[in-house]
Amino acid sequence: MRQFKMHNAQCTIILIAYLSLFFTPLFAQSNLTYDLHVGATGEVQVLADFPESYAGEKINITVQSTKYDVQGEYDFVFTNEEPVDGFAEVYRFSDEQGTPWIVWRNSKEIKNRAQRTLVQNAYNSFEAYLHEQIDVRRSTGWIWWVFAGVLLLGTAVYGGYVIYSRRKEKELSSVEQEMLRRKRLGQRRHYFSQLYLWVLLVVLYAPIALIAVFSFTKSKVLGNWTGFSMDLYANLFTGKADAGLNSAIGYTVLIALVAAVCSTILGTLAAIGIYNMRARSRKVVSLLNSVPMINPDIITGISLFLLFVALGMSQGLATVCIAHVVFCTPYVVLSVLPRLSRMNPNTYEAALDLGATPAQALRMVMIPELWPGMLSGFILALTLSVDDFGVTFFTKGSGGLETLSTFIYSDARKGGLTPELRPLFTIILLVMLTVLIYINIRNSKQEKK
Amino acid sequence: MSKLIRIFSSRRAWAWPYVFFLMLFVVLPLILVAVYAFTDIDGHFTMRNFLKFFSHSEAIQTFLYSVMIAVFNTAICLLIGYPAAYIMAQEDFKTPKVMAMLFILPMWINFLLRTVATVELFNMLGLPLGEGALLFGLCYDYLPFMIYPIYNTLQKMDNSYVEAAQDLGASRWQSFWKVIVPLSMPGVYSGIVMVFMPTVSTFAIAELLTHNNIKLFGSLIQDYITTTDLLNYGAVLSLVLLVIIALTSFFGDNDDNGEKGGMI
Repeated sequence: MRQFKMHNAQCTIILIAYLSLFFTPLFAQSNLTYDLHVGATGEVQVLADFPESYAGEKINITVQSTKYDVQGEYDFVFTNEEPVDGFAEVYRFSDEQGTPWIVWRNSKEIKNRAQRTLVQNAYNSFEAYLHEQIDVRRSTGWIWWVFAGVLLLGTAVYGGYVIYSRRKEKELSSVEQEMLRRKRLGQRRHYFSQLYLWVLLVVLYAPIALIAVFSFTKSKVLGNWTGFSMDLYANLFTGKADAGLNSAIGYTVLIALVAAVCSTILGTLAAIGIYNMRARSRKVVSLLNSVPMINPDIITGISLFLLFVALGMSQGLATVCIAHVVFCTPYVVLSVLPRLSRMNPNTYEAALDLGATPAQALRMVMIPELWPGMLSGFILALTLSVDDFGVTFFTKGSGGLETLSTFIYSDARKGGLTPELRPLFTIILLVMLTVLIYINIRNSKQEKK
Repeated sequence: MSKLIRIFSSRRAWAWPYVFFLMLFVVLPLILVAVYAFTDIDGHFTMRNFLKFFSHSEAIQTFLYSVMIAVFNTAICLLIGYPAAYIMAQEDFKTPKVMAMLFILPMWINFLLRTVATVELFNMLGLPLGEGALLFGLCYDYLPFMIYPIYNTLQKMDNSYVEAAQDLGASRWQSFWKVIVPLSMPGVYSGIVMVFMPTVSTFAIAELLTHNNIKLFGSLIQDYITTTDLLNYGAVLSLVLLVIIALTSFFGDNDDNGEKGGMI
């Protein structure tokens, strides 16, 4: 790894300033922030004693949340007598201004598109209304001021530097000036390209940094700094977090391990087979092998979903594992194949000639040679499996099986993240970073050899 | 038993379980998509689903809109990603290898979490969610997929071509457009494919980034395929998407498909 050298002061200053932008929340005063999301019961609870007969009844509804700093009381008047068809507990009512609203509790399984749209519309309008009712005060305008300030400061420093160096330059001869000009042109090109990369990096990492920074405070809403605290980390490790999150983590690890082990075994055997095939059949199998890699998630997911439906398999843990093996194995095959072409093809035959069974030859001759390829295939399969959303979504069935990805999805759709996801995410990020750096160092060492 | 051992002592046979596996879980499901598209709910052959698609203006509009968004996103990623890849691959800019790695790292973080993080960032900055947020989020999610292949081709490129061009009197600008860009085209193609395909088939992201206001084709497919009585129509939509994917991957056929696999 080449060492990175910061050549220039102005670059450093601008950089530090830009980076510091994303840590300003650490020093900011805590602001009271309201953020409201209305969703299924448990997320935000809409509590009311619903009367037996609804028509004309005026009720007072209390909004409570286990997840958001939100509470409020609202007066509504019911307009319809019966719950909407298909939902046991959907209530239609209007507020004092006469705007009709629909609130549902414990919404049952949604059977068709029309119902889904109905619920979605109700959800949106009710949420919009409550947003107006509770003053949504997001006092984050200061970020823009900091941003503008940093830009101004950066420009001023750079301008000052340019003026300063110009003045110095006038004392030089014309030849020296020309040389300097050329040198500066090259330098400037260098600085601006570096700046471009860094700004891009900062933008790329801003959302990630945001989550990482806010994993150290215990507020329910992201963006609301309530002082430094490691509570979320503690919750995560002592199992005090949301039960759904805990089971999702468990399933994710289980599925990833099963998928990685299965695909490593299957893929390694397949790679050995493919390597020993004749050219034409090797081409066909390689093409087949690349299909799951080209297919986008949604196609793989849907096609497998249709397969399981056609076969009449009930979807759950088993189907998710199979699906993960499907899209992981091609990558294992691709990481083992290069090792095979590097290894001496005669060693396996030599082992057989010396009296080893194929299984022994595989275990004692092939596997030690192929080990690095298998390992990187295994790691790749692990990360792909943990990362997957699309395929899991379509093959998990409706039995309540959730992996981390699908949990995040349903969580985000309800509005907002479960707070404990923030430390989890930070830890995953750090692990990824370490693994990648380790692999990079290992590779560059191997290259040197 | 001894017969079995003899069969499996030929190493060629070791791929058979995998070939069987691929047939069952990759080829057969893809055929099933077509089968479901051409049958009705009782399993009889019908063309009704297709006719429904062509007279279903919501589906057509969503489809065109998704393709447009995907094209836009690919263009933006190319415009932002190419300079970055070029700068990093350039010897005289002295960019460390770690930098290239940092650009690729987000690729390995759950894209849903990244999307949610983007939404939170927009919320925090007080920016409205909508089309702009959608494009930003998509670009943010798929930029690494554009940078990586271009960076790879540029790095492998023989620098003596550029030197030759400059010795023959080409300016920096000329040597860039006439030498570097044509030579990096394979990387650009595979970058375009790697960004366009997931964007056109994306689902879930759009809903989160636009507060459910914009629906892309992927979400539409998801809606239909998960409702039992409309499964066959969902299969038609998937088939349409599959055709687009096939066309795109045909376009980028000359690239090495194992981009992700080649990383480690």
